[in-house]
Amino acid sequence: MSEQSLLQVKDLSVSIDNELPILHNINLDIKPGETHVLMGPNGAGKSTLGFTLMGNPHYNVTEGNILFAGQDITTASSDKRAKAGMFLSFQNPYEVPGISLSSFIRNAYHAQTGAPVKLLAFQKSLKAAMEILSMDESYADRDLNVGFSGGEKKKAEILQLLMLNPKFAILDETDSGLDVDAVRTVSKGIEEYQKKKDGALLIITHSTKILESLHVDYTHVLVKGNIVHTGDGSLVDEINANGFERFV
Amino acid sequence: MNTDLNMKVNVLPVYTYNFLKVNDSNIELSDISIDTVESPAAAELPQGVSVKRGISFDEAGEVFRANKDRILVTTGVPGDPNGDTSARDSEQAVRTGMGIDADKLFISAGAKSEVYTVEENAKVEKPVVIRFDMKDGKGVLASQVIHAKKNSEVTIIMDYDSGADKEAAGFLGVSTRILAEEGAKVTVVKTQLLGSRYLHFDDLGGACFEKGAIRLVSLELGAQKVWNGSYINLAEKEADFTSDTGYLCRGEDKLDINFVTDHRGKKTNALMQFKGVLMDKAQKTLRFTIDFKNGSSGSAGDEQEDALLLSEDVINRSMPIILCQEEDVDGRHGATIGQLGEDLLFYMQSRGIDEEEAKRIMIKARLDSVARIIPDPELMQRVQYYIQNII
Amino acid sequence: MSDNKQVVADIDRSLYDFKDVESEKDFYRMAEGLTEETVLKVSEEKNDPEWMRDFRLKCLKLYEEIKMPNWGPSIEGLDMDRISSYVRHKSDMKGKWEDVPEDIKNTFEKLGIPQAERESLAGVGAQYDSELVYHNVKDEVAAQGVIYTDLESALHGEYADMIKEHFMKLVPPTDHKFAALHGAVWSGGSFVYVPKGVKVEIPLQSYFRLNAAGAGQFEHTLIIVDEGADLHFIEGCSAPKYNVANLHAGCVELFVGKNAHLRYSTIENWSKNMYNLNTKRAVVEENGVMEWVSGSFGSHTSYLYPMTILKGEGSKMEFTGITFAGKGQNLDTGAKVVHVGERTSSHISTKSISKDGGIGTYRSSVTIQKTAKKAKASVSCDSLMLDSISRADTVPAMDIRTSDADVGHEAKIGRISDEAVFYLMSRGISEEDAKAMIVSGFANPVSKELPLEYAVEMNNLIKLEMGGH
Repeated sequence: MSEQSLLQVKDLSVSIDNELPILHNINLDIKPGETHVLMGPNGAGKSTLGFTLMGNPHYNVTEGNILFAGQDITTASSDKRAKAGMFLSFQNPYEVPGISLSSFIRNAYHAQTGAPVKLLAFQKSLKAAMEILSMDESYADRDLNVGFSGGEKKKAEILQLLMLNPKFAILDETDSGLDVDAVRTVSKGIEEYQKKKDGALLIITHSTKILESLHVDYTHVLVKGNIVHTGDGSLVDEINANGFERFV
Repeated sequence: MNTDLNMKVNVLPVYTYNFLKVNDSNIELSDISIDTVESPAAAELPQGVSVKRGISFDEAGEVFRANKDRILVTTGVPGDPNGDTSARDSEQAVRTGMGIDADKLFISAGAKSEVYTVEENAKVEKPVVIRFDMKDGKGVLASQVIHAKKNSEVTIIMDYDSGADKEAAGFLGVSTRILAEEGAKVTVVKTQLLGSRYLHFDDLGGACFEKGAIRLVSLELGAQKVWNGSYINLAEKEADFTSDTGYLCRGEDKLDINFVTDHRGKKTNALMQFKGVLMDKAQKTLRFTIDFKNGSSGSAGDEQEDALLLSEDVINRSMPIILCQEEDVDGRHGATIGQLGEDLLFYMQSRGIDEEEAKRIMIKARLDSVARIIPDPELMQRVQYYIQNII
Repeated sequence: MSDNKQVVADIDRSLYDFKDVESEKDFYRMAEGLTEETVLKVSEEKNDPEWMRDFRLKCLKLYEEIKMPNWGPSIEGLDMDRISSYVRHKSDMKGKWEDVPEDIKNTFEKLGIPQAERESLAGVGAQYDSELVYHNVKDEVAAQGVIYTDLESALHGEYADMIKEHFMKLVPPTDHKFAALHGAVWSGGSFVYVPKGVKVEIPLQSYFRLNAAGAGQFEHTLIIVDEGADLHFIEGCSAPKYNVANLHAGCVELFVGKNAHLRYSTIENWSKNMYNLNTKRAVVEENGVMEWVSGSFGSHTSYLYPMTILKGEGSKMEFTGITFAGKGQNLDTGAKVVHVGERTSSHISTKSISKDGGIGTYRSSVTIQKTAKKAKASVSCDSLMLDSISRADTVPAMDIRTSDADVGHEAKIGRISDEAVFYLMSRGISEEDAKAMIVSGFANPVSKELPLEYAVEMNNLIKLEMGGH
């Protein structure tokens, strides 16, 4: 099975700034085209896993490995991981004054592919992606995330997902703080990504709103830093109905 | 003591353009006559606090000299700021806001200091109150050292008042030097309600060890010429300095301030706030500096000024300086200087309050916000009454 | 910044650092040091009118009397006895590019000056060491009556009286030691006159190149923008790196008339052995507007505080500046403004970056005189520390003498946050590029005020500095 795996997480333990571990012996196996959901109550360590997979230097892997497309990336810097085809949609995207959203995406695209960006084609596909996300065109020229509302920031993250088209994307609480319409729009963007080809997803969430219109292959429940249960897509509905109580 | 010598005080930590005439200030000693060279005694000494009286100014500084290396801790990374003036005050037992010339005055006058010592772990709730009864014609030099030992807490109130004689003349010069050892908290409250022809200076120098904290609340409401200096060394981890200064300058008052917080330890914190009002032909010069020394990573410093100018003839000078030789710090400064906002005025007028009354309300609001922090109810009332009477 | 990234490949420092060996036979070089004799010799070389010769001698005296400033960076490394105050090529100034001597032409070609002129400038002046070697104005601009010439010939021509009336009146030689020095040995520079109501649509540019080792450059720029006129003037500076100190003590005097508008942009990239003690000053009449855009990247030591006197009612000033202090640099920069007229307004916005032990000081003064009723002034200065061996100091001053003014001041100091770097890296951008991007973003308020090719140059300079080459 390992030949087919896109992301393999083996016995992963993680701590922040060398204090007590937050994640214990995490194992995951995600194949191309699969959609995994990671659920769990607040403080379970869900975002920690997202940051660790993407290589945030504040999080230290104390045990275990992360393999992506067969390569051990446990110690690789986050730009290397992105170049390999990983993507993280941030829960709180950072504001970067002075760089416009569109030029940032172009820079990232250029950094990842090494190919020159054809301006007209780029603008066309950016416009199309923004339409899917019901984003006003003016956002393209605004400074990256600066002064964006919570919903606009999340849309800007999904916009980057669509434009950069990674092999594997982690969506960290992309639905949190959004109203019903915004959740629907963001879901539409995610569906669009799923449609594209073999893109795999790890959706981190503590609610289930965003999952309603998405196909889910596996659901993992994370409690106090441990994956306590793994099931198929129907587990989402069960948690939706009964909460996490039986796992705690 | 009368002499022709002049004192150069409140020297900026770094010089700037000379044409501004703000690099320092002069006190002409010929304007001063001194008849008393020691501080009045505290009304009563709460448990946990002891005092030694009659110590020479120089000897009283011994506790700082003994700890000099610890206070002036340095990482040795070179690079002084342009126009650095620190060498000037290097002979002081502990650097003060007004600087070496203030020390020299105390020493040459043979001034005697009070040395207050707060016992280890003593949480002294009752404040030490020192009342300065400054009648017309007096000339006083007073100095104290406050040595708060580990994990002690103490409040010192210095109450400068000329009483009913609103036009009293005279001189009062005060030096306060503070050492807050590990975990010690020293609160100093200074209220200045001197007669309108008084000359006054108030000099402060201090150092905080790990988690030591100095809290300063001061109100400059009276006197004609005032110099106010403060230099606090946050020598060790998580040391803290917080100050609130309120002032009101009227007539031809001159107020000259020099505050410096010197961050040396990691995660040290400083907040310096100045709120005041200038009226008539008053002049104010405010120098305030946050100095992040190399090694002070994780520290934060904030300096804020809010000056209300209520006459066409006032002069308001501000030098908000930030010096920084450390990457991981958060330093900020903000100032708003001007008259009553038109919007605010309109709002008040729409509620039937005329312009004069609106001004009175805003003066009171500014000064009250500092006065309210005074931990002694009787003094707080007296100060509020004083403010009420002026406006 | 990405636009630039695709347009321009990485540059390297050699673009500015190349040296052209000045053969002795082609260049006249004055003996080092400063005496009455050398001053008289400069005066003779320049064929000064009598008043100018006397003025130079008066300035020399002042230079000897005035003390060094006590507040700025050390200038101990500058030994005036070893600075040659006058170096020129033994050929005259040209009005045609083809006629400029080959060696000098090569230098400017490498800097891209003639190309820029063809593409986007209304006129160009190029100064090489102490003299202008080339001056040209597009015909259509000249036809509008715009005068753009070297100051020396202007001293003998139609505008001689206008120059006498304005020369060093705004920056008197008594101002400071190096203003006096400038008055004594000034050479080269430009004179611009924009007549009433004339709007110059595209910028004029002067480029200053100090090629000789151990030399001083003391050019004088005098610009008069008459009532209702409009001009954008660009100044670029560079020099190759030598092991001996070079000195730049130029002087810029700007007169902005009633309802006139002047934008003065500078990208200063002197080599890192330069002592840049430059004085710039503008006076603005009723409802006139003065805009400064200033980027300081080069020099070993800088004292640079463009000053604006808002004299006329309703006059305005805007200053946008960036300073990047890298290894071995002590850049003391900022701005000064004096509000005199009623309802005058000023806005100063600066960014400073310190790295590799560099010392960056923001220094300013805002003076609001009693006459400046309803004046508005705001200052905002941000500093970015890129490591803990550098310095970023902020030394502003405000002197306010009327209650009827509205003054705000904000300053912040900080660093590049780890989170921001991680965010960019998670999109595939390398750590170095991520940091350069954040710094460019920090500098963006300045670069967006520059014409495109200068913004490109500035971003390249930032990348160069961030790369630590």
